[in-house]
Amino acid sequence: MHAHQLCFEDVKRGAALTPLVKHPTTVQLFRFSAITWNAHRIHFDKPYAATEGYPDVLVQAHLHGSFLYQAVADWAGPRARVLRFGWQNRGIAVPGDVLTCTGKVTKAEDGTVECELEERNQKGDLCASGWARVELPRRG
Amino acid sequence: MTISIPALAEQLKPYVGRSERSDLGVMRKEMFQRFAVAADNLNPIFFEPEAARAAGYVDTIAPPLFLSAVRNWQSGPPQDSLRPDGTTSHEFAFLPLEGLRIMGGGQDLELHAPLTNGTRVSMELRLEGIELKQGRSGDLLLIKVTQIYRDDADRPLVTCRETFIAR
Repeated sequence: MHAHQLCFEDVKRGAALTPLVKHPTTVQLFRFSAITWNAHRIHFDKPYAATEGYPDVLVQAHLHGSFLYQAVADWAGPRARVLRFGWQNRGIAVPGDVLTCTGKVTKAEDGTVECELEERNQKGDLCASGWARVELPRRG
Repeated sequence: MTISIPALAEQLKPYVGRSERSDLGVMRKEMFQRFAVAADNLNPIFFEPEAARAAGYVDTIAPPLFLSAVRNWQSGPPQDSLRPDGTTSHEFAFLPLEGLRIMGGGQDLELHAPLTNGTRVSMELRLEGIELKQGRSGDLLLIKVTQIYRDDADRPLVTCRETFIAR
């Protein structure tokens, strides 16, 4: 499933990344909080999250980041190297949401590409935006 | 507990430019593989040495967000010293941020080298700057930090830049 490899020669400015769709669940959020040792109750305690005005427990900032990172890394393939990656959270997401990560190439030069990334929910609301600089192998 | 944000900004000023380095311990693949599973990213370069070698690595590697996502590398504060919302400012080690509500909302990562099993990692936390702002619900303090993660040979693995909002 990860065998695909993109080469620098295959990419032009404006090209779209392969979209990645994620379906976060309460179990996933619990496990992500546990492994990052993050006890913030808005991520696992729905009645508490309601006291802060949220409809359910919230997807963690770094889980949004991980989804966007996976979108760019899976698209680029295992021999690519992500040199720089960043993201900003823009809106909340909760279990049951369908999060689609997309992106496009904004620059392709000297074996590296730069990408803009977005994660949106099923209503089209922006949940996170991101950026990446990726070194791609050359063909041959 | 009421904390004056402008007073705290004054208190933090002498810390701008200062840094502190801490030992995070030896990283084990089981921990970063759990992170990959929790993030629903089953890329074999995180789990299978052969797949990692085929991709040009010496061994399985950690997902690049792993280091900067973990909030605390020690035991962490006991439950009764967490705030009612479960958070803590314990991870800001040397900065006087007790009692504040601190939120992150993204990071900018330079990925220098991959993290592999058995590597001892240190982290240097540097306060880059502070900025007082007026939010809709009162004063906010933007706290700009850089975290540099290095391996036991002092090679940088990840440089993480992040701005936290304290209120």
